[in-house]
Amino acid sequence: MPNRGWWALLRPYVMIAPAMAGIGLFVIYPIFYLIKLSFYKYNLMNKAKSKYIGFDNYQKIFTRDDFYQALGNTAVYTVGVVAGTMLLSLLVALWLKRKTRWNRIVQAGIFTPHIVSIVSIALLWMWLMEPNQGLLNFLLKLFGLPPSAWLQSSKTALLSVILVSVWQSIGYYTLIIVAALQSIPPTIYEAAALDNASRAKVFFRITLPLLSPQLFFILVIMTIGSFKVFDTVQVMTGGGPNGATSTIVYYIYQFRTTNIGYSAATGVVLMAIIGLLTFLYFRLLARKVHYQ
Amino acid sequence: MANKIRGVLAATALMGVLAGCGGGNGNNAAPNDANQGASSSPSASASASASPSAEATGGGKTTVQFWHSLGGKNGEYMDALIKRFNDSHPDIEVVGTFQGGYDETVTKLQQAIASNTAPDVSMLERAYVQMFADSDVLEDMKPYLDKSGMSPDDFTAGLMGHSYFDNKLVSLPLNRSTPILHVNKTLLDAKGLSVPKTWDELKTAANALADKGKGQYGLTMPYDTWYQLAMITQAGGKFFNDDKTSVDFIDNGVGEKVFAYLKDLQNAGAFYYPPQQDSGNIVNKMFTEGKVAMMYQSTGSIGGLMEAVNFDYVTAFLPKDQEYANPTGGANVTILSGSKNKDAAWEFIRWMDTDPQGAQQFIVQSGYLPFTKAMVDSQEIKDLWAKEPNRKVAYDQLQYAVDTNMDVAWPEVMHEFFSAIEAIMYDSKDIKSTLATFKKEADRILNQ
Repeated sequence: MPNRGWWALLRPYVMIAPAMAGIGLFVIYPIFYLIKLSFYKYNLMNKAKSKYIGFDNYQKIFTRDDFYQALGNTAVYTVGVVAGTMLLSLLVALWLKRKTRWNRIVQAGIFTPHIVSIVSIALLWMWLMEPNQGLLNFLLKLFGLPPSAWLQSSKTALLSVILVSVWQSIGYYTLIIVAALQSIPPTIYEAAALDNASRAKVFFRITLPLLSPQLFFILVIMTIGSFKVFDTVQVMTGGGPNGATSTIVYYIYQFRTTNIGYSAATGVVLMAIIGLLTFLYFRLLARKVHYQ
Repeated sequence: MANKIRGVLAATALMGVLAGCGGGNGNNAAPNDANQGASSSPSASASASASPSAEATGGGKTTVQFWHSLGGKNGEYMDALIKRFNDSHPDIEVVGTFQGGYDETVTKLQQAIASNTAPDVSMLERAYVQMFADSDVLEDMKPYLDKSGMSPDDFTAGLMGHSYFDNKLVSLPLNRSTPILHVNKTLLDAKGLSVPKTWDELKTAANALADKGKGQYGLTMPYDTWYQLAMITQAGGKFFNDDKTSVDFIDNGVGEKVFAYLKDLQNAGAFYYPPQQDSGNIVNKMFTEGKVAMMYQSTGSIGGLMEAVNFDYVTAFLPKDQEYANPTGGANVTILSGSKNKDAAWEFIRWMDTDPQGAQQFIVQSGYLPFTKAMVDSQEIKDLWAKEPNRKVAYDQLQYAVDTNMDVAWPEVMHEFFSAIEAIMYDSKDIKSTLATFKKEADRILNQ
């Protein structure tokens, strides 16, 4: 029957059509719209006044110092948050590996920041970091250390924001790593014990390789997430002082009212950067990941 | 492998876009523009989204959508005003909606206009009026004014600066304010100082009042462009040149003078420049606690400060250099061209501007400036001023009101000006080269 051949050919497309319709409408169409916007000096309220300006927006992006500042801040933030969180969650996870009651309480405590709204957390830390009355400076003074200006100096502001983000995300990633640790077959460790392997060797030759799929997942997810950081910056610093904490997404946001075409062009650049980074990760690291 | 990479690439690329788009929605932006003091005075800091319930609008009633930016106490006063209007107009129903701070209202309004869901009437922060008018989305109100037998001369001249665009009357004053000098007279009296009238006197007083040991400063101001704008005009400069092709205050040295003045005071420990987040509330708090003796701040905070202070609190004109001068702030009211109920919308504005039960009550309650001559002459305002002379000073200062930052491109240039202010005030960057960089960016924006 000719009909059957038709159907066999069409069936997969019909099956994925509902999902593709959603993706097309909410993902693919917006991307092309974004790219289109980036070539215009766009007037949202009166389309007749929009002007096609070719690559001017892109040219502007790459000649402006504040874009490079935002890019640099984002890079420092990403490296700081990803490295800090992964290292600390790994250490905490190794500590909490054993299933004791006490460990469960600690784990619940560490996890709590993750379920609290990041806005509340940011506001809370703003109090702690207040230079004159804040608790952190009080503690520093108590131990005879010089107080810091925290969020209010362009030298320490980005570091302060990183600190808050790391503090907030450790619990969640600890949970993932603990779960991974507990799923490593104990027989492997027993074999290592029989061979009298040192603890360092056990960690680097057994634990770390077997954790690599989870660590790789965390690395990719956190890099993407950190590149998109917005909420902490918006609440805690507004990008300041003097652009010291302005990240790319916040940079895009700042132009929303006055120059939406420029915002769109920066969005396209961000998309390219994240795409490239993820590509590099998969190229360079995928081979080092051991799946059981 | 290649397929897998492509898939991941696409997925992450999409995430990037979503990240870029997500930024604009829903996040409660602190209004960074010239007037946050007005809406964030201590008494009005708790912002509550209060939109009066739209009652059944049957029976030939015309519904007028009205967007405003007043939360907290001022929002309650606005709701009361809308209720008074609805009670006295059986055929019109005004639905007021609080849309967040000024900047947020502007962002929402832009999106609403693009999608044809804009309100009939909207409050619009005065510096954005030109930008909206340039897109031809604001209705010319002059014909309506004529029809109602009113004239632009009925309004206080100093507050009409942002009302015209291309000879069209695109907005009328509503909740307006200006920057003013707030003084803790108890502290000044203790040192035998009088309220400063000039920059030199201000410098002397601020230095005399600064006390590192007690953590006390002489002078402060919120993080904003407003106060630097005021000082530029006081020093005889203008923000934009008359042709709006460049910024005027840099090559003639005025900008350098203004910032050097502030920087000297800051370095001497006499001037406190607050962090940008929540700066209005921070300086208000310092002032009420007696930690700073003098403060440049919006007239909109007079009411809140009067309730909060327990010392002799007076207001005065911003000190002069070459001359007295001050910009204006706050918001105007506009009719959107896309509205289908323009007559009803106009009736709402006409009633606010002329009826003693209209905006006049709102002005008395909130502390914004009276904006029509009839309001100023009314017994109610006269009584108020006799009781609270601090508010009269604010109105009297309007005779020196001058807005030199009016242009379609101001919101964009403002962004660059903020960067310059931050570089100089927070990071002590070289004033001359920072302003030169600012001028280059501003010129590029103005000439594109």
